[in-house]
Formats: sequence, C-alpha cells, structure tokens
Amino acid sequence: MASVQIFNPNPTVFISPSAKASAASRHLQAAKKSLWMNGPEPRSTSEDSETDDDDEEEAIDQEEIFDLIRKIYDPEHPNTLEELRVVSAPQISIEKNTVKVEFTPTVPHCGMSTLIGLSIRVRLIRSLPTRFKLDIVVKPGSHQSEHAVNKQLNDKERVAAALENPALVKTVEDCLSGRD
Amino acid sequence: MSAERLVRTWITSQRAEEVTEIVSGMLSRLSSPSLIINTNRNFQRLNRSPRCRQSPWRVSDRRRRLSANKRSRFTCVELLSAVLSRCPADKLNRQAAKVLTTFYCSKMEDTETVVPALKGLASLTKLPSSTSEDVPNILDAIFEHVKMKGLVQSVRFQVFTIIDTLLARHRDAFKTINDSFLGRYIALVEGEKDPRNLLLAFAIARVLLIEFDITNFFESLFNITFCYFPITFRPPPNDPYGISTDDLRQALRGCLNATPSFGPLAIPVFLEKLAAGSPTTKRDTLQSMSLCFPVYGSALARSHARQLWNALKLEIFQPTDPITEEFALKTTQSLIKTIYAEQSPEFGNGDIEGLARDACEECISILREPEKSQAKPAIKVLCAFMSTTPSVARYTVAQTVPYLVKLYTKTDNIASRPSILLLLSELIAASRDSMKNLHISDASEKPLGPFKDEILGILTSALKTPPSRDPALACLLGFVSTGGLLTDEELAFIVHGVDDILSEESEEGEEASAPALKLLVTISLTASHHVKEQTLPLLFGMLSDNAPPRDAAIERAKAWRILSALNTLCRRPDLFETLVISLNTKLDLLCMPSDTPAPEELEPRAAYAHSILTTLHQTILAKVDDGHVDVAKYIESLVPRLFNLFIYSALDPDKNMIASDPRLITEAGNIIGAITQTVSAQRQQKFVQTLFNAYLDGNYKDIADGPQKIPLSTVFAPLNPAAPKKQRNLVILMASAVLPLHKEIRIPVPDLSGFFKSLVSWGLADAGTDLQQESAWKMLCAIVNKRSADASTFIKFMLEDFGPQSIANRSCPPEKRNPAIRVWIWVSKALLVCNHTDGSQFTELLFQVFDDEAIKWSAATSFGEIVRTDMVLTKHNYASIKMLYAQRFLRQILPRMITGAHDSTDPESQISHLIALTSLISSVPKALYIHDMPKLIPLLVRGLDLPDHNIRYQVINTFLSVAEGDSADIVSEHAPTLIQTMLRNSTAANMSSARVRISALKYLGVLPTIVRYDILHPHKATVIRQLAVSLDDPKRTVRKEAVAARTTWFKSSG
Repeated sequence: MASVQIFNPNPTVFISPSAKASAASRHLQAAKKSLWMNGPEPRSTSEDSETDDDDEEEAIDQEEIFDLIRKIYDPEHPNTLEELRVVSAPQISIEKNTVKVEFTPTVPHCGMSTLIGLSIRVRLIRSLPTRFKLDIVVKPGSHQSEHAVNKQLNDKERVAAALENPALVKTVEDCLSGRD
Repeated sequence: MSAERLVRTWITSQRAEEVTEIVSGMLSRLSSPSLIINTNRNFQRLNRSPRCRQSPWRVSDRRRRLSANKRSRFTCVELLSAVLSRCPADKLNRQAAKVLTTFYCSKMEDTETVVPALKGLASLTKLPSSTSEDVPNILDAIFEHVKMKGLVQSVRFQVFTIIDTLLARHRDAFKTINDSFLGRYIALVEGEKDPRNLLLAFAIARVLLIEFDITNFFESLFNITFCYFPITFRPPPNDPYGISTDDLRQALRGCLNATPSFGPLAIPVFLEKLAAGSPTTKRDTLQSMSLCFPVYGSALARSHARQLWNALKLEIFQPTDPITEEFALKTTQSLIKTIYAEQSPEFGNGDIEGLARDACEECISILREPEKSQAKPAIKVLCAFMSTTPSVARYTVAQTVPYLVKLYTKTDNIASRPSILLLLSELIAASRDSMKNLHISDASEKPLGPFKDEILGILTSALKTPPSRDPALACLLGFVSTGGLLTDEELAFIVHGVDDILSEESEEGEEASAPALKLLVTISLTASHHVKEQTLPLLFGMLSDNAPPRDAAIERAKAWRILSALNTLCRRPDLFETLVISLNTKLDLLCMPSDTPAPEELEPRAAYAHSILTTLHQTILAKVDDGHVDVAKYIESLVPRLFNLFIYSALDPDKNMIASDPRLITEAGNIIGAITQTVSAQRQQKFVQTLFNAYLDGNYKDIADGPQKIPLSTVFAPLNPAAPKKQRNLVILMASAVLPLHKEIRIPVPDLSGFFKSLVSWGLADAGTDLQQESAWKMLCAIVNKRSADASTFIKFMLEDFGPQSIANRSCPPEKRNPAIRVWIWVSKALLVCNHTDGSQFTELLFQVFDDEAIKWSAATSFGEIVRTDMVLTKHNYASIKMLYAQRFLRQILPRMITGAHDSTDPESQISHLIALTSLISSVPKALYIHDMPKLIPLLVRGLDLPDHNIRYQVINTFLSVAEGDSADIVSEHAPTLIQTMLRNSTAANMSSARVRISALKYLGVLPTIVRYDILHPHKATVIRQLAVSLDDPKRTVRKEAVAARTTWFKSSG
C-alpha cells in the first residue's frame, strides 16, 4: 500500500455508539420475553432451546445487512468502514427484493471509492440470498465523480470483469477480512 | 587383552573393522569400573613422554613408516582423540597435557590429521591440566594451518569450541596477545554461515567486544557481526539441532550492543533495514535498536535523534501492523530514555530541550484534530513518553494536559469532546502505569497531581452529557486506579457523580452503567464506605417493593439492571452483608404480603422474588470464585432464614404462597448448596444432623429461623408418602444441602441402605414431579458415591431385585420402567465415578434391554448421561472421583458398541447400539476416543441419518470438537460424505431444528480449514451453491452461520 497515493491521510474516526452492546438493553429484551430472570449470563441450554422453540420468521433487515458490511476495512486505513462512517445503518434500505446501500467516501476526491463499493458488493453477493438485487451508490453530493462511480459499481459486466483480476480480488479479500 | 596389545594389533592390522573393534573394546574396558584404573594406568603410560616405549611417539613412529597410508595416519590420531575424550579429567597430568598439546599442534600441519587433531584439542583444552601456557601454541597452530573454508561444519565447530574454551579459561593469556589474536581471529571466522557455529562465534565476539582492546579492529569486528543482521535464518522442519531464529537473534544482539564504538556505524544500517525490510525485519531492527541505544550512549542518540525519530514516526503513524507499531513505540521510549538518562530528576522542572520537546510539540499539533485517525498514534507516542524519564514524563503531561483541557473548553469543539476525553483517558492510564514501578506516595509528585483539579472539573461536566460519558468514566477509572492521587473527598465527589448516572432513567444512563459500575467497584477496593453510604441506599431505594406487573417490561428490565448492578458491586464482605440484609427484607415483603395479592399478580411476584434469589446466588458464586471466606458464615444466618421462609410457605394451607413455587425453591436450594460447600466438615456434620432431624423427624426448629412464625400444630414430613405436594417440593432444598457434603460426613440415619430404599420408593411412587424425582436421585447419587462402602446392601438390592423386577421385567408397563431407568442412571454414575467394582454390572443390564421396544431408547441414551460430567459429582462437591474413570469405562464399553452397531442380525438392537454409541461419544472429551476415530466416523455419519434431532445435533458437535486440535484432518477421507450430510442438515426445508442447521453450517465452515483443498475442490461449487439456500433461512442466527461458512468456502483455494 505504501507506493499507492494516499487520498485521505487523516480521516475522522468516530466512536460508534452501537459498538456498546449494553447490558441494559439485553435486560430489556429478556424482560419483554419472560417474567423470569435467568441470571446475568444466559445459560447455553436456555439459548439452545430458545432458537428451537419459536417458529417465528425473522426477516432480513437493515441492521442485519449493516452487520455484514460494517466490519469491512478501509483500503487505506486500519479502520473499519463503520468507524470512518463510510457506511451506516440508515443508509441501507430494503424493498422487497432490492437492497440499496449508500456509502459516503471520506473525501470527495477519494480514488478508493470504487474499491470500497466493490468490496461492499462482493460481501453482499456472497452473503445475501440470490433473490436480492443489489444497488450500491455513493451518497449524493459526496464525491466529485459520483455518476461515474455509481455507474461502474452497478454495471454487471464491469463488476464481473473486475472480479477476474486476481490482484484486485486479493485487495478486496484483504478489505473483507482485515489485514494480517 | 591389555591396552598395549590392542594398540599394537591395531597398528599392524590396519583394517577398518578391527579399528572399530579395538576402539570399542578399549572403551568398554575404560568404562567398566573394575578395569578403569588399570586401563588408565596403561593409557597414561601410553601417553607419557618418549621415555615410555608404548607411547604416542611410538605410534607416530609407526605412522611415519606407514605414511603412505593416509587413512592410517588419520585413524591413528582419531583413536587417540577418541580415547582422550573419554579420559577422566583428573587422570591426565600437566606433563601429559603438554606433550599432547605439542603433538596435536604438530598434527595440524598435516592436512590428513587436522580433523582428529582438532577433535583431540577440543577435549584436551577442557581438562584442568591444560593451562594458559599452551594457549599461544594452540592458537598459532590453528591460525596458521586451519583453513576454515575447506572444512565441514562439524570440524569448524571444533575450532570454535577450542577458541571458546580457551577464551573462557585463559582470558588473560589472550589479552597479552590482543592485537595479534584479534586480527587473525577475524580472518578465521569470516564467511561462517552455519547457525550452529554462529551461535558460538557470536558468543566469542561478545567477549572480544566487551573485554578486549578493539580500537584497531572495531571496523572489522563490525563487519563480521553486522553482516549477519538481520537474521533471516529459518530452521528446517524437524531440525534436530533445535536452533531457532530467535536463538540466533538473541546471540547476535549480544554482539550488536556489546560496545559503544559500533554506534556511528550501526545507526545507518538500522535505518536502512527499518525502511526497506519486511515486517519481521522491521521488528527485529526495532528490538535491536531498543537494546543498542543505551549502550551506544546519549551523545550519539542525541546527534541522530531527528533522523531516528523520523524513521520511527513512520512506523508509528503509518504502521504495517499493530505489533510493529508497538515495537516502534518501545524503541522510541528507549531512544528518549537514552537521550535524557543523564539528567537528574530535579533537572529541568519546567523545560526540556531536544527530541522530547520537538516530538511532543509535533504530536500535540496533531492532537489539534482529536477526532481524526492520526490523533490515536500521536497520543500513543505521548503515552509512551510517560514511561521514560521523570523529567520527560512531567514535561509531556505539562504540555499535553493543559492543551487538551483548553481544547475541551473551546465552545466550537463540542462535537469532538468525546474524542478529546478518550485521548485524555489514555494519557491518564499511561501515567498510572508508569507509576507502578516508582512507588511515589505523595500526590503532588505524580505527573498528574498539578492538573487533577482542572481535569476533574471538565469530567464532572462531561458526566452530565451522554456522548462524553463513557470516555469521562474511562478518565475517572484511570484517576481512581492511580493509588494515592485522589483524596477521600474527591472520591466521594466522584461516587456522587456516578450515582447520578445510575439513577438516571433514560436509555443513555443504562448504556453507561457497565463502565460506571466498574468505576464504583474500583473505588470500593480502596474506599468501600463511599459506595456503602452513597450508592447502595440509592440502588436499594430504586428497587421497588412490589413486583412489576406482567406487561411492564421496562420496569422489570430496570429491576434486573439494578439487581445485576448490586451483584457486581456487593462482593466485598461488608457490602455483601448489606446486600443480604436488604434483599432478605425485600424477599419477606414479597413472599408474605400484608394483603392477599390478586391471582394475576402471583406469577410476576414470584418471578421478582426469584430474581432476587438469583442475584444472591450469583453474588455468592462470584465470591466463592474470588476466594472470599465470609461466605461460610451465612450458614448461621441466611440458610436458616431461607429454610424458615420456605418451610413456613409449604406448611401454610394457603395455596397461593409465593415461596412454594418450585422455581423459587430451586434457586433457594442453589444458595443453600453454595454456602454449604464452603463450610468446614465439622460444621457440615452438625448441619446435616439438624437437616435430617427436620426432614425425617419433622423437627425443623433447629434448621429454620426467621421472622415468620411457623404454627406449632402443623406436621412437617416431606418424605412421608401422604405429604402434600407443596411439602414434597422441599426435598429440593434437602438435596441441595446434601450434595456438597464432605466424604467423611456420616448421614444421620440408622440404616443407610434402608434410607436409600425408602428414597427410591418415595421417588418412584410418591414424588409428583420430575423436579422432586431428580432431586431425590441426585441426593442418592451424591451419598452413594461418597459412602459406597456403607451402601453395599443397597447396591446388592439394586442389582438383584430392583434391576430385574423394575427394568428388565418386560411385563412391567413402560411408564414405570422409564422412571426406573433414571434411578439406575444416577446410581450407575455414582459407582462409575468412584470406580466401584459393581459399576459394570449396572451397565450390563442396560445392554440387555437394547432389543426391548418399550424402553430401548431410554436405555441407549442413558450411556451418555452416565458418563457425562454434571453439577452433582464435582470436586467442589467433594465427590469421590477416581482418575481416568471415563477412560476405563470407554475402554470397556466402546468395542462392544462398535461391534453391536455393525451387527445387522437384529436391526432393533443395532440401532440401539448406534444411539448408545453417539450418546456416549458426544458426552466425553474427544481425547478419549480420538484414536478410535477412523472406526467411529462411519458410524457417526450413520448417526446423522437417525430421525432424532438431538442425536444429530450431538453428533455434529462431536465432529466439531474433533475438528479442533492436532488430528483434525482425520476426517479427510470421509469429507465428501460429510459435506453431503451436512448440506442436507443445513436447509430449513430438510431440517426443522434451527440448532441442528446452525451446527451443520458451522461444520461446513470448519471443513476448509481442516481438510486439504485438493480434496474439497470438486465440491466447492456445489457447496457454495447449496449454501446460498441457507442464506435465506428464516432464522437470523442460521443465516449468520451460513454467511460465515460461505465466506470460508469462497476464500479456500489451492
């Protein structure tokens, strides 16, 4: 990475509020389900029976898709897309079988935008059921060549071609799994 | 044969076989104690001077005559060296040593004998009779005649060994020939490449660098050491010499930092390697630099400070990886320490010059944008400065803290306040950690001392704004954990501020509660009175006296939050006492309401009381884990009080007593058990007496004590067949108290076997619920295990009467036989764990009913339960647990089960065997069966086709546990089958149990990490396609596993 031009050497890192999985909200979740306290640490057996017992269907929602992409690493920095607020839960929308993900490059001239977009796309192609159509766009007004980036990211042929390039695939894999 | 004759024969025969024969013959004589003296005498005569006829000189005379034969010259010296290496040290006198030295030195001239001569010298130089007088001769011979490049590693090793030994023993002799030795030695070692030799060469070089006058040679010495830096050697797999890269690195570093004269030459090398190297090289360079700076001295460090800092800065601000970054920070510390080492702590109270100042200013200017990513490495550098020298630390704090405080108070910075506090908290923590080694008790001497009022000021305001709360709490935690920094009033003030957060109703308040509690716990370590006086009354006040109604989830969550806060806070003895008193009062109020609660209130009320009991239990468990001894004393107070409450409630004719709910009784039992566990054997004996008095004779006066007055007229007899259900439930309490009894405790009944028999018949005939039954069986199991010697009549009864009549008897109805198997399991378990001789007869009976449709299922699955570790027979409960009992059991049973599961003559029994096998395997640690895995895998795969979900779940988990550890690839040849089966079990359409789907997907995700890719490749496309189906699973947790598994498969490639 050292040889590549760094587009934003010092981006803002946000302290993500959702990172704190608070004990309190766990209490609330449990309290809604049951009158009885199972003790601070849920026993594994009770957890098991929980997943088995109810037949309620849990649809794929915004939060779940956000969970899939929040841990992707920025190609330039040792930070996740969530920490840099490149992606956020409200920027994801689901309509029947279409998922739209909007992301915000840290600077308007960011040359990494297409790579970030591609990483998000690859992650979602692999992780979402095939019935979904993916629409990945930069936040309107956040990038100087917004139109070009959007076009590139949503062009099936170009995405497929990009994924034929081993070097590019390697970079995408690095972003998806973090660096060693 | 005498030694003389052996040598003579060898000289004349000149045959290789004979040589070895002679040597071994001679050696065996030497090593035999009776002959050793004699042989030695001969040997010495052989070695002694030309006066003796049988001497090495004679040998060499012969050699001259046989000089045409190179091999003979070689073996001749070889023989002598071999003998010498086995010669006891005290048997060689100075004269002999001298002669031998001269002899060997002369042999170096001859290229044929140089190898054995070196070998001989290596042994000779170690002997006490070899003195410094010999050193010049040996060295001359070596330097003159030994051509290192032409010799193999082992011979070069001998050369290094000789020099190393001589250097260790006769260092002064070397020093007299300083220059001539150094020059020739440097020429000798140049070009050495073998790691074994280098280890020695580095050790020698370190001695030379430190102890010798190297003025004329430091450049050459620099060349012969730094040419190896950085070490790139990687040991071959299964290296028999066991030299690691790290050994070499350490040895080389010993040379690099041996002398300050290397400094000016070394720094450019370091900088070059740091800039160009791989992460490993970078780390090696950084570590070496840290070690070298102090030796190279502060003057040099100062003159290269800028240059070095620029290089280090790059590693910190654009780190290749976190470890390298960490190393770079350590190196920076070493650099700063070296530069400022000479300054006394009093010096420069305010000001400091040079690198520390420049770097500080540089970092602080980056902190101007505290929310940006570069602020993080900047604060790391400043934190690293805290652990350098006191003056630098003081300077850093004096520069950074006021700057951050000013930044915080600027009005246009409100959005970045949390980031500022986060940075500040890191600095505070670093300041605290730097103090650990220094023991400064006076607050004003601590670097943060002068600034604490200022910081506390902004923290108090930050606690009130939710976004800044967490970082503010982190700052406070740093403050509080710095010993002696804060005064008592300041602590009280902080506790007050934190209490405000806990009492807040909003969601933000709830989010901050975990760090707030951590802070309070830390404060309570040193000043628990603040928590006791301020926080606890507040929390108890917030805990309502009445149960939240059924639909008030928020209220209930709040109560649970307060209870879990109390659980975290009240572990210290004094705080725990307060907790017990307050919660007992709440419990009494809930269980004994003054007005009759409405029916719909009953369950919420019981649940609330249950949560209070659970909290007490959890706190006690945490205390036991922390080794608190005050738990035991609650057998005098809390235990009688609980018994009183529950006996009162059980005897009360009112049906709606809260405390007669079995869930509450179970939780109370847990508390009683946990306390009894910590009590001494003597006290247990007394306690068990009162317990049995109460349960068998109805005399509960001694065990129950509390505010509720139990009416005297009622009869307490829970084990009586006629007892009402409410009373029978109290057996749960009895069982919990009996489980943790010590082995030596006598059960106060006249006839133990009689008691057991009545317990069994009570459990089977009278106990109304599973809970009552299981309690009875657990109690039975615990006592039988510890006192099996007293129970022989009972064991005999079980085997001869109970088993055949209640289990094996096929005319008995299954609804009676199945519960009987439960007793059977518990008794078998008790006997198995203590390796009782009758244990195997119990399992035998289970095998007998494998073909019995009515109960074969219970019988087969019971094997897992018998061997599984549980909460009853544990070390904490003082159970009699024999070593390797499970191994023995498995060795006995497993072959039979494998055969049975293969035997298709009786399909019924075959399936039973298979079920028993899966149940058994999934209940024991994998170490017990891993060696049988090749035989087991086909059977386990068949187990995955059994209709029962629980069995499938267990089998997959067994595969998962086998996948961890060394022999994970054992499943390779079954991989295609496993993939198919797991895929079948992973879709909602084929498998209704989410638990099984999750496990199957987990296993699919593990496969690519344990099986070679070439085996998996043909299946990759199928698996990825099939997993897409699970991505659309109705359950979120299943989808998550599917995503993880699919990602691993995407990534796996050849």
